[in-house]
Amino acid sequence: MSAQESAPGPAGGRPVASAVVVGAGLAGLTAASGLTAHGIEVTVLEARDRVGGRTHGLQVAPGSWVDAGAAYLGDRHTHLHALLAELGLKTTPTTMLGASRFALGGVHATRDGRFPPLNAVALGDLFEQLAELTAAVVPEAPWLTPDAERLDALTAADWADRQLTHPDARLFFPLFLGEMMAADPADVSVLHMAFYLRSGGGLRYLNAFEGGAQQDRVAGGAHQVCERLADRLGTRVRLGEPVLAVHQDAHGVTVRSARGEHRADVAVLALPPLPADAVEQHPAPPVRRAGGRTARGCAVKVHLVHPAPVWRDHGLSGWSVNAEGPLLSTVDDSPAEGGAGVLTGFVTGAEAHRFAALTPERQRAAAAEQAARLFPMLPEPVGLHITDWVNEEYSQGCYAALFGPGDWLRHGPTLTAPHRRVHWAGTETSTEFFGLMEGAIRSGHRVVAEILART
Amino acid sequence: MSVDTTTSAGSDGAPDSLGTDADAEALVAVFRRVLENPAAGVDSDFFLLGGDSLIATRVLSAIARGHGVELSFEDFLLAPTPRGLAGKIAAAR
Repeated sequence: MSAQESAPGPAGGRPVASAVVVGAGLAGLTAASGLTAHGIEVTVLEARDRVGGRTHGLQVAPGSWVDAGAAYLGDRHTHLHALLAELGLKTTPTTMLGASRFALGGVHATRDGRFPPLNAVALGDLFEQLAELTAAVVPEAPWLTPDAERLDALTAADWADRQLTHPDARLFFPLFLGEMMAADPADVSVLHMAFYLRSGGGLRYLNAFEGGAQQDRVAGGAHQVCERLADRLGTRVRLGEPVLAVHQDAHGVTVRSARGEHRADVAVLALPPLPADAVEQHPAPPVRRAGGRTARGCAVKVHLVHPAPVWRDHGLSGWSVNAEGPLLSTVDDSPAEGGAGVLTGFVTGAEAHRFAALTPERQRAAAAEQAARLFPMLPEPVGLHITDWVNEEYSQGCYAALFGPGDWLRHGPTLTAPHRRVHWAGTETSTEFFGLMEGAIRSGHRVVAEILART
Repeated sequence: MSVDTTTSAGSDGAPDSLGTDADAEALVAVFRRVLENPAAGVDSDFFLLGGDSLIATRVLSAIARGHGVELSFEDFLLAPTPRGLAGKIAAAR
């Protein structure tokens, strides 16, 4: 850490005058907006031909948009709420009225509410154990958690093998982890699982729709947040310009993209850990952003579009939980303004890898067939969209990178420490609401404060 | 919230009113722990205090460990107060 703490300022005590931000997702654009507001000359370089990162809008009917990426927010997501208000965007509550469908371990059931037809005591034993792990985490510094070395070395799959005895708990645990954090239990350490649940507000908050992290959506789509931020930044945002390398010297940084070089006092890498490590750096950072076991968040989102949410006429909420994929859960994401009925299917964890390996035709057939079994009253969908985040080159997974065994102890202490003139942003650098839109925005604010504090 | 919620009341198993009162008191402690709400009392409705199905199962788990009785999620929905659940425990013994 001492090398970073003693890093020289831009030029002998003068404040930072210019910055290159790499990545035009929520973290990068929040940082760019804050720096611009403080009079710093900013250039944002974005690899894709769109802004938004892991938020992305899909137009499913004229004027009707759904979220192909990050979608939900809750009242505790205060920085996101403030940003929405600033940008003139509104929220709309997630709808969850009616009965749920379950296909779990050969049992097909329709039940009121979201509680699955599984042994409640067995699920309670699972949640009691998860709550205990979650409560023990030091959220602002998970590597300082009591017993951190053991928890960081053990995968959630190993933990489940040892701790879960009832078949219903063993069946439900991977579904739960897939839904909460898009993780295959084999991919994450117990420490990361416990940290993620704690960072997001705890088991109840992270799991809940009403009164929880899925209470609302952004009316018209979460992609509008980045679009509006980018509109305000104007020509400072350059699309289709993937960054290849960042070189720094005593006086500044040179950011080399596929289209040219940009010189500035500092750089902000607002990228997930895996894409961040793909950027060549001179000098190299002392610790890479990802370790050998850091995995891609495993989420594929499937949108089944109907002219109207006809399942509601049959007393169904659209919510389902399924032991067999590809759609491990479904939820009603119909645009509030009408125009379409949209069921969103989540393909997560190990199932996402299997599904992502299929041809597009097979993916579509498998998703449509399963939806027809779950909701037999539905006609053929008029639209079917598949968004594979696992294989997105510039995200390399969604919701967020999965910290595997060893990651927190190795990377945690330098998670936010600047590498001389290079600062780090992105939801994976926020110990508050890690993996969520809220975490990305908070990381952008942190980076602005760091850069303003440089002299 | 230092009350041990897992080992108190109910080991004698008698479905008399004294046992039921002790069970209800033990359940108040469980409610306070899982709801993180020190205001829960014997007649507090779990769902009005912000409980949901996920943490309801934690109460059922604590009842199974502490009272040796496995109640169902439907039992919980029918009697979502410490006093009501103590009655369910007594009936199940």
